[in-house]
Amino acid sequence: MTLIQGATGMAATGKADDTGASVVLREVGMRFGENVVLDRVNLTVTPGQFVALVGPSGAGKSTLLRLMNGSHRPTAGSLSVLGVNPATCSRPELRRLRRRTGFVFQQFGLVGRLSAMENVLMGALGSLRMPCYGIATYPRPLRERALANLERVGLVDQRHQRCDTLSGGQQQRVAIARTLMQEAELVLADEPVASLDPNASISVLQTLRKLSAEDGFTVICSLHQVELALEVSDRVVAVRDGAFVLDASTSRTSQEDIRAVYAQAKQG
Amino acid sequence: MPQTLERPPATQPTRRAPGRPRPSVATIGIPLAYVAVTVFALWWLDIRPAALLAGFEDIARLVQRMVPPTTGDPGSLVSLAIETLWIAIAGTGIATILSVPLAAAASRHFAGPRVIGWLARGTIVVTRAIPSLVFALILVRIVGLGPLAGGLAIAFHSVGMIGKMFADVFEELEPSPREAVRAVGATRAQNFVATTLSRALPSLTSIVLYRLDINIRASAVLGLVGAGGIGLALQTAIGSLDYRRALGIILVIVIMLLALELVAYLAQRALSEHAEEHSAAQLYGEGRAAASPGWNRSRILRVGSGLAALVVFAVSLAQVLADPPSFGRLWANTARVLSGFFPPVFSPDIAYGIFESVVMALSATTFGVVFGLVIAVLSTRHLVRFEPLSLALRGLMVLLRGVPDIIFALLFVAALGLGPFAGFLALAISCTALAAKFFTDSLVRVDPAPLRALEATGAGRMQVFVSGVWPQFVPSFIGNSLFTSDLALRESAVLGIVGAGGIGFLLEESIATLHYDTTAGILIALVVVVVALEAVARWARRKVI
Repeated sequence: MTLIQGATGMAATGKADDTGASVVLREVGMRFGENVVLDRVNLTVTPGQFVALVGPSGAGKSTLLRLMNGSHRPTAGSLSVLGVNPATCSRPELRRLRRRTGFVFQQFGLVGRLSAMENVLMGALGSLRMPCYGIATYPRPLRERALANLERVGLVDQRHQRCDTLSGGQQQRVAIARTLMQEAELVLADEPVASLDPNASISVLQTLRKLSAEDGFTVICSLHQVELALEVSDRVVAVRDGAFVLDASTSRTSQEDIRAVYAQAKQG
Repeated sequence: MPQTLERPPATQPTRRAPGRPRPSVATIGIPLAYVAVTVFALWWLDIRPAALLAGFEDIARLVQRMVPPTTGDPGSLVSLAIETLWIAIAGTGIATILSVPLAAAASRHFAGPRVIGWLARGTIVVTRAIPSLVFALILVRIVGLGPLAGGLAIAFHSVGMIGKMFADVFEELEPSPREAVRAVGATRAQNFVATTLSRALPSLTSIVLYRLDINIRASAVLGLVGAGGIGLALQTAIGSLDYRRALGIILVIVIMLLALELVAYLAQRALSEHAEEHSAAQLYGEGRAAASPGWNRSRILRVGSGLAALVVFAVSLAQVLADPPSFGRLWANTARVLSGFFPPVFSPDIAYGIFESVVMALSATTFGVVFGLVIAVLSTRHLVRFEPLSLALRGLMVLLRGVPDIIFALLFVAALGLGPFAGFLALAISCTALAAKFFTDSLVRVDPAPLRALEATGAGRMQVFVSGVWPQFVPSFIGNSLFTSDLALRESAVLGIVGAGGIGFLLEESIATLHYDTTAGILIALVVVVVALEAVARWARRKVI
């Protein structure tokens, strides 16, 4: 009960002071036809924070992340991502926003028959004008940055290997290195470890955490495993049926708290 | 309670084919339609055993006048054969380059203006429906006689075929890489090159090679309408009643096509072996700096084959453009032909010609499917265990497939006189060869386990075929039969160019006498009929398979 109050409290402070925040959602609602996916949610994320969105599948986590990168438009409320409203901005503005916002997918989104390095280089396409095909067509400074980013995710030796011959965890690291090419201020990760085994999951998330701490980018990451969320994040937001049922700092939250919230929500 | 639960399975065997859809309009109606058209054609073309026998006597007399074959001046034949190759390569290359943007715009994922998508889809449908020989007839009027008209004719027709297949490939790609690259802020063009083209490349390559094979066959006969290549020599030989030279040229064409088929087969085998090795390999070697890609076997092969293809294409373009028309003349001719198209004229003659083409195509398909099935069964090794027969039949089919059907039509016209009967015979032969190939390929793929199980129960040959083979085979049988019919229809539209019946005769006449308004009417009617029959075939395929 106190935790839910905490959630509304956060929203209130978010309204009062959101200058410089990475993401601000105000009373954001989303419905597909009759189906309410998000029900007037409020959220303020400060720069550098690692926020875990937890909740069962279908709770609205993916929709929330897709709203933030402009893939969906909310049916109610307003939002601001890095000072831009992705729902109302023009196409070029949206492209610029997407360049500043990294997105990590559950399905990695790699081209399997190209090398790790080529896939990482695709992260720089937003800053280029022309289409590129093959490593040699990218400018040398970009290639050097791609190499450095592969090194940071621990895959420099696999740089010329076909991506579909890499393990799932390695593929997700390549995807993260692709995001690093954008030098993003905000990284949105939609179930980044849902198709990985437990060991790979924790190591991929820790890599993301380390990179976020080093470069200072904000991370909003949806996860369905509560224990992983508690292990890597600063803040946990629990979503259920399109509403936030808990929003608290990770250090003050335990697995039991989250279970309790869900149990309560079920009864209610 | 348990008894009532047991009952339904016990009663099930009394129902025929449980769980299978009831015979629909498609399964009964379509074969019936083919049989009806065939019966009508038998009466209309006056195909009686006596007429057939008499026809065979005429053909035998013609063959007597053809042996022994001569080639005359072999040097000129070889250079015409090589010109045929350049026409096919140039046409396929141009079509490939045009097809990439066309297919991108026609695919379901295209996010640009809707009008462009419709235009792209329309272009694909129309160019696919018009055979390359028809394009050649018109282009000869615009760019003049010679290989340029041929290359462009091949290109225009192939754009539709290649564009359709490319669009299918683009649509089948999994969407997640596209979404990921969109999320980094890439433009549509960047995203298309990075995630769509890169993933589609292997499929695109095999489509282009497959099409090149077909285009070489098509180029071999373009000379019949003056659009370059070896067909020109054939036209001259038959026109001057030099049948021995005609046979010589036909043999050169067949040998060329078979040799290329062998090359294609060997190349395909080498490629598939390489593909296995390729998938596990490092794509690049160690470069001078860690950030730059180095060379290894895989990259050398990729870059090398790409460059080789480009060089061959450039040479073919240079060959086809060896004697280019002046720009002014090109412009004037294009304007004259296109303005002549308006307003299109439709006449009862057009309807009659198209009707004749359709009847020829459908009845020839019926014959082709029936004979093709018999030949396929006889030449499939695990069905009939008599090696010499299956080998002989396969060899005969390869040989028959090697001869373009318009060449058969040309010979039958020479032997039996003008008219749809010659066209029907030519189409029936090529449909038989084609259907036999399709059916053999799918019979070989029939799972042998149920057959052995049936044999183990003591079932006879016929029983094994009816209960074990036929049910597995029937979906591909119907699909391939419809496909054969599709090809036959396109071919039947051009056989008239050599006088073998159908709309082709009127088409050529309208162009020769500069009645372009009639030409436009014929083209429109042809596209409508081809597209309509294709739609019926698609519907039937969905219903049955």
